[in-house]
Amino acid sequence: MDKKAIFFDKSKCVGCQACIIACKIKHHASPHPVAPPEGDPKGLSPINVHEYGPVIKGDRVFMYYQPLACMHCQDAPCLQACPETAIYRDEETDVVLVDRERCIGCKFCLWACPYGAPHFDDQGKMVKCDMCVDRLRQGKPTACEAVCVASAIMVRAPEEIAKIQAGKAADRVMKEIPD
Amino acid sequence: MSDERIVKSTCCNCHGGCGVLITVKDGVIKGIEGNPQSTTRGTMCAKGLASIQETNNPNRLRHPLKRVGARGEDKWVQIGWDEALDTIANRIKESSAQFGPNSVVTGQGTGRGYNLFTLRLASTIGTGNMMGPAHVCYLPRLMVYTISVGARLMPDFHGWGGDFPKTIVAWGRQTEITNSENEMAVWFLDALAKAKNLIIVDPKTTRLTSRANLWLQLRPGTDAALALGMMNVIINEGLYDKEFVADWTHGFEKLRDRVQDYPPEKVAEITWVPKEKIIKAARMLATDSPTAFNVGQALEASNNCTQNNRAMVCLMAITGNIERPGSMVNWMLTEAGQLEDFGREIKITPEARDGMAGGDKFKLGVMGRFSNPDTIFRKLREDDPGRARVMHLHGTNPLLAYADTKAILAGLLKLDFLSVADLYMSPTARYADIVLPVAHWLESDGVWDEHGLFHFSAMVKAVEPPGEARSTYWIYNELGRRIDPKYWFDTVEQVFDYFIRRSGLTWEEFKKIGFLKKTGKEQKYYKYKTDYWRKGGGFRTATGKVELYSTTMEKYGYDPLPHYLEPNESPYSTPELYKQYPLILSASLRTPYYFLSQYRQIPWLRERHPDPTVLIHPETAGAMGIENEDWVWIENQRGRVKQKAKFFAGLDPRVVMAQQAWWYPERNNEESLLESNINVLTTSDLPPDPATGATTFRALLCKVYKVEEAANG
Repeated sequence: MDKKAIFFDKSKCVGCQACIIACKIKHHASPHPVAPPEGDPKGLSPINVHEYGPVIKGDRVFMYYQPLACMHCQDAPCLQACPETAIYRDEETDVVLVDRERCIGCKFCLWACPYGAPHFDDQGKMVKCDMCVDRLRQGKPTACEAVCVASAIMVRAPEEIAKIQAGKAADRVMKEIPD
Repeated sequence: MSDERIVKSTCCNCHGGCGVLITVKDGVIKGIEGNPQSTTRGTMCAKGLASIQETNNPNRLRHPLKRVGARGEDKWVQIGWDEALDTIANRIKESSAQFGPNSVVTGQGTGRGYNLFTLRLASTIGTGNMMGPAHVCYLPRLMVYTISVGARLMPDFHGWGGDFPKTIVAWGRQTEITNSENEMAVWFLDALAKAKNLIIVDPKTTRLTSRANLWLQLRPGTDAALALGMMNVIINEGLYDKEFVADWTHGFEKLRDRVQDYPPEKVAEITWVPKEKIIKAARMLATDSPTAFNVGQALEASNNCTQNNRAMVCLMAITGNIERPGSMVNWMLTEAGQLEDFGREIKITPEARDGMAGGDKFKLGVMGRFSNPDTIFRKLREDDPGRARVMHLHGTNPLLAYADTKAILAGLLKLDFLSVADLYMSPTARYADIVLPVAHWLESDGVWDEHGLFHFSAMVKAVEPPGEARSTYWIYNELGRRIDPKYWFDTVEQVFDYFIRRSGLTWEEFKKIGFLKKTGKEQKYYKYKTDYWRKGGGFRTATGKVELYSTTMEKYGYDPLPHYLEPNESPYSTPELYKQYPLILSASLRTPYYFLSQYRQIPWLRERHPDPTVLIHPETAGAMGIENEDWVWIENQRGRVKQKAKFFAGLDPRVVMAQQAWWYPERNNEESLLESNINVLTTSDLPPDPATGATTFRALLCKVYKVEEAANG
């Protein structure tokens, strides 16, 4: 399997937040019981959508929704910071994962993370985006990508994301050609 | 993996009907996700996904209940289904016998695939009074399409005819987060990615405004003026589709004369949209076509409802954007045909037709077979001899949905008998004599055919309902059987078999297939050039053409041409009132987490939006000493409610937008019903739309001020 990266496209996101609920459902099933009837009815959101604007400048409107989760950094500060080596990288996919048994809930990872990705469940253990690695292994898209009406979330090999983005940039050039 | 299985079903948490896969283990739902093989391709929204918190929700109704205390006292005793259904059926029959069948009202909320059951029950009883919020939601548009074009139109986001829209106009509608007529967000956003232009017509910035080529920030309630102004530009500059207009429309000259009353300068004054933008948008949508018009409910919840929508149809027609690929299209149905027949096949009796509340006035409402709720409740309040006596409501909250909550409550309390079927003890159910527990769509079999489009799908029961809750279809069938068995069936399965009989499939067979659809090359465009609607070509209207000048409107005594009507209360129609209440109130703000009054008790959704919210421009708020997230009173001459102020620069500083249908499931009582529910400020006392009876929800007046703790008591 390819190594994977996650890409959130703020130019497409409409802020519907379905990804948050899809993520909660996925991580309720396993390993973290956070949905009713048992556990915290609210549960954690390993993915979040941040809202900016609207800001109006003359005729221009700026309003963005930025989904954000764990970026699965190559040189992951959380992984470096963890005193119990509970955080590790999945060789096959490059996904950064947490060994729940080893996690002591010290929150050093939270100090280290530049994105605020680590959350802590009702037992104090760290929970974050695992890129739905079990789904990836079954050849399925992540829960958040699958549910997105706006195609604003992509989990692909980094080269593939680069290619798609380059294609979009080229399309913009094409749009300058008059009818 | 003992008992894990996947159930393929259809989400019914809005009108849309997304294909879903439900993971069930040991009788418990472990997961819900979109079905990648369905027409919605695996996408879903927060509301549908959060259904997982409904099957085990502690607030669910579990048994039929009978009131033992006073109405609204919330004291109940559990009863059996037979007692509950027999009582309701007997009250209906007694009232029919004593006061005539029109004294019975069957009511529902927004369409969730059982409109036809509510109607069939009404016809079984013989009452003309089927009630719903149809007067302000979808029905007006449907009736206007019917009288003007002879067929309902939908924006074509599918490209089955070879073209996608080049220009998309999002007019008072946010398909990206809400669904109002079965065109889904995923299709809309795909088409948008391919479109050259996006024009947004909305008093506030939407989630797509930053991507729009043009944003026309109109004053709430002035839609018809804007559309007429655009037509003025299009006609006077010769940008209309001359061939389509000449061959396929009726009354162009009269429309041309009418739009002369709406020069862009004047329209700019009315709508607050700069003249240059009106002209630019008009040119863009007329010339850079095909153009799809994504028109929303904002145009319907207005005292000018019919003309707003008539103006839109005329705009579509003169620009040649009807039945052209990528424009406005009438979808062909599957081989199962028009499933809505199930509701309409029992002919309405003359007595029922004459007894429809508001039917003497609102002729287009009558055409749609819905009576007018405001009239029903007014007659109750006024002890009119022709008032309703018995009301059976299914999935609806008149106390939250209709204008003037206090007046609706006064009317409800006058009923001899009220029964309510719901998932939860809703604010309306609290005032019932009998409450029936309904199974959720995850707990029900069903056929999803909302608004009769190019596909319909199976709703397949995944888990058992809580307690004794039973499916909507079972409840309707059991009630129907008790009133007149000849129109109803022995089992729910027989209902579904009958329902889809023309497809040649039985329910059991259909359930396995999951859906029927007519898509791609099977859909035909330009149907008016064939015998599809009319031998030799044409539209299914009186004149055989698209009626810019409506002969039906003329026949009923309404203006046959679109016109603008100022909102009942506005800076211009009631300048004195405006001095006292200096803000325009749009009382129908939507979020992606709630559907009208639904879902406040779903933890994952409530977490996203815990409090009722009024959007206010920071400058306006600043002048009144209101800070972001302050609780504020929204007040007019009819009352006040409190919501939380949210600073929002995407509004005109003269306009505020308050969230609608808010209630507090965690403290459901009469006091909390009136606390944040914006319909305390709306009214049905002012003249409604003359043809549909639509009430104004989106253009009122108010003032806003900070809630002081001491004053709040």
